[in-house]
Amino acid sequence: MSTARSERRASPTRLSRRIRLRRDKSLLLMTIPAVVLLLVFNYAPLFGLVTAFQSYDPLVGVWHSDWVGLDQFQALFGDPLFWESMKNTLYLSCVQLVLFFPIPIALALLLNSVLSERMRNFIQSVLYLPHFFSWVLALTIFQQMLGGAGLLNQFLRQHGIGTWDIMTDPHTFALLVTSQAIWKEAGWGIIVFLAALSAINTELYEAAAADGAGRWRRMWHITLPGLRGVVMLMLVLRLGNALSVGFEQFLIQRTAVGHDAADVLDTFSFYYGIAAGNYSYGAAAGLFKSLVSLLLLWGANRLAHAFGEDGLYRK
Amino acid sequence: MTTELNRRRFLSAGASIAGAVAMAPLLSACGGGSHQKTGANTSSGLKAALPAFLSSTALTPDIASVTGGADAATDPGFLSYPAAPAATVSGPPGKGGSYTAVTPLWGTVPQPGNSFYQAMNKALGVNLTMKPADGNNYHTIVPTMTAAKKLPDWINLPAWWNPNFNTGELARTQFADLTPHLSGDNVKKYPNLAALPTGAWQTGVWGDKLYGIPCFATTFPGPGGVFHRRDLLESHGITNAQVKSPADLMNLGKELTDAKRGVWAFDDVWTYLYPSFGAPVKWKVDNGKLVHLFETQEFLEALDWHYRLATSGYMHPDALAGDGANQGTRFYAGKVLIAGGGLGAWNLADYQSGVAADPNYRRGAFDILTADGKSTPVAYMGAPSSMISYLNADLKPDQIAELLAVANYLAAPYGSAEYTMTNFGVEGVHHNRVNGVPTFTDEGKKNVQATTFPFLSSSSSVISNPGGDVVTKDYSAWQAANVKALVKPPFWAMNYSMPQDIATAEAAQAVNDTIIDCYHGKKKVSDVQAAVSTWKSGQGARLKRWMTENVLDKYGAGQ
Repeated sequence: MSTARSERRASPTRLSRRIRLRRDKSLLLMTIPAVVLLLVFNYAPLFGLVTAFQSYDPLVGVWHSDWVGLDQFQALFGDPLFWESMKNTLYLSCVQLVLFFPIPIALALLLNSVLSERMRNFIQSVLYLPHFFSWVLALTIFQQMLGGAGLLNQFLRQHGIGTWDIMTDPHTFALLVTSQAIWKEAGWGIIVFLAALSAINTELYEAAAADGAGRWRRMWHITLPGLRGVVMLMLVLRLGNALSVGFEQFLIQRTAVGHDAADVLDTFSFYYGIAAGNYSYGAAAGLFKSLVSLLLLWGANRLAHAFGEDGLYRK
Repeated sequence: MTTELNRRRFLSAGASIAGAVAMAPLLSACGGGSHQKTGANTSSGLKAALPAFLSSTALTPDIASVTGGADAATDPGFLSYPAAPAATVSGPPGKGGSYTAVTPLWGTVPQPGNSFYQAMNKALGVNLTMKPADGNNYHTIVPTMTAAKKLPDWINLPAWWNPNFNTGELARTQFADLTPHLSGDNVKKYPNLAALPTGAWQTGVWGDKLYGIPCFATTFPGPGGVFHRRDLLESHGITNAQVKSPADLMNLGKELTDAKRGVWAFDDVWTYLYPSFGAPVKWKVDNGKLVHLFETQEFLEALDWHYRLATSGYMHPDALAGDGANQGTRFYAGKVLIAGGGLGAWNLADYQSGVAADPNYRRGAFDILTADGKSTPVAYMGAPSSMISYLNADLKPDQIAELLAVANYLAAPYGSAEYTMTNFGVEGVHHNRVNGVPTFTDEGKKNVQATTFPFLSSSSSVISNPGGDVVTKDYSAWQAANVKALVKPPFWAMNYSMPQDIATAEAAQAVNDTIIDCYHGKKKVSDVQAAVSTWKSGQGARLKRWMTENVLDKYGAGQ
């Protein structure tokens, strides 16, 4: 990575746009399908946002629904349930950031230090597997293990020890969903870090070892600095996505812990928007969420640049 | 008319979006869309739209129908299946047209183009593409089709979601008016449709025009029941006669729960039990004024009882965790002994699943309870048909006639050749006769047993469970014992549809969420009261005013 940086600094002046366009023609052509996909499925639907300023009725259609200006937002900001779900979202996001985020990095480092190829592949497969389970299945497993009638509690019950139904306890719900997320997604999350690890020049390790650096020193001075760019990128993305903590996971467990513990912004939009037929209200909640996310993303990216990292793009 | 995105539609969608963006600034000028009609019916208009009734020469039932109050009667019971089913329709009714149909399905979706679909298409003489959609999310799937005006040719809309679909307005704008085809004597061209009870047709009339075809019409629209494992309760020496009130029911909790063995007395019962406390299903009319369920004392008493149940330790922890999907499994395995449910659960498939888990399996249901255990039991009737199918307004008159002929085939009475085909498939492929009883083959279990075609049109309900006569006898006896308790609630079988914001108010999502939390023991009754008072001051008041002005004052309560 450091070599790439010095190369870039060595390049004399910025090339003119036309020359760069000609140079990157084939690369740009290759991005067209992705750009079209993005336009059609991410940008075109943005048009639907106008419903947030209407009293939208699907039968009447976007063209003829009544315009209500900012009424939906006014109602939204006066809705204690909305703030409740906002609070839940932010709280869960913080808990996940602290407890979830470091785990894939640690796992990647751990896996990287396993020398046996076969052992490594085996561990990797075991770690990846839960990612391919649906949330329904993952949560069923949790319910069967930790639920009130699950393996753990039946064991406790049969031995006359008090039971603890963690699956329906709203007070520990944040820890529960985070541990579920770790179980299901942490393994998958290591891929990007493993890729970054494999990009570190092995000669650096050899040279450091020849200079007498031990295991920890090599990790501290070579591995971690090598990972720093990717970690910062993931952190920026995570912060930008702070208001998206998941949907299905909460949808499924909503009745288990109660709506005021489990509602996050996305489920709020679903239940109080779509399910109640109040589409405009849901759209308003969604739009508000997007705006806040945009701000967060921008802020996190600025922060990354301030620390001298690339963030989402090079400054 | 597929609902998938094909290339042409994909491009036209893109074009219309581009147009939409360009025109966006003009939009603020127009608007004013919600001046729609309620879709309610005047009594004379309703009369003119309804088809004539022509009783069919159906088979004589083994267990005759018993009449109760309020036009209710038990469904006829059959213990045998005719050896040589008679045809009611000559030749395939269709003329080779191609159509798509969407129906809700609670279960595994059969393979597209499977052998049963093919056989049905051949028998019907049409190319009907069935597209069953997930029943649990059906009320969120359909609005996406209606908003895009991309409804299939034929669709089933469950009546309990009429507020979500805004069915009255939808009928007026996107469904075919069947009045000229079916009203009065016009229906006689379709004798099987003419044999459907008039009350059921009423559920398909909107704004004095007939749009819907009723499926599973019944004269016993029971509100569901509090089921129990009759075999296991009897082994404890408990019979229906001993359980008269919610208090009696609660007493069973201690007796039947054995948590160490993983057995709890109760699963969810709220939905099917709260009216027994004397609470209305949704509305009651008091001195000419509307009173909502949430405003009644009986509702609070019901909540209090359910909260106590949830916190008593007599309810299965998975039920408290909101795992409704595995309720059947718990019931079959004897992990719960009492569970609320719709009456549709009392059928052959249930019996077979139950017996597979426990050879002694026998489903029972408590008779309708009363709050004090002494007064006359009351159960509010549901709609005479809650599954209604509609045709697309884009169809031409001869296409409508073709599909009505298909509907006539599908509505053939119990035991006829067409009924056999629709419900059991082809003999030798989908079913075999075992001791004279049509019994599904594996192919039949896979593709026929899931309800698809009957959600487009079906004959009046009968109780028949070939191969499981104990089910027919038990269920018939329960209906007969409870038919006298059936009462029509306000607005019974009256169609009306509401604007979006009123439908949202009626959904009362925040209150209903809190109710669920309460009967799962996570919220106190006082929390529900707080949610109700918030609702009442805003949405609730709007809902009541709208209902009073647009329905009650204009059309009455229909009682």
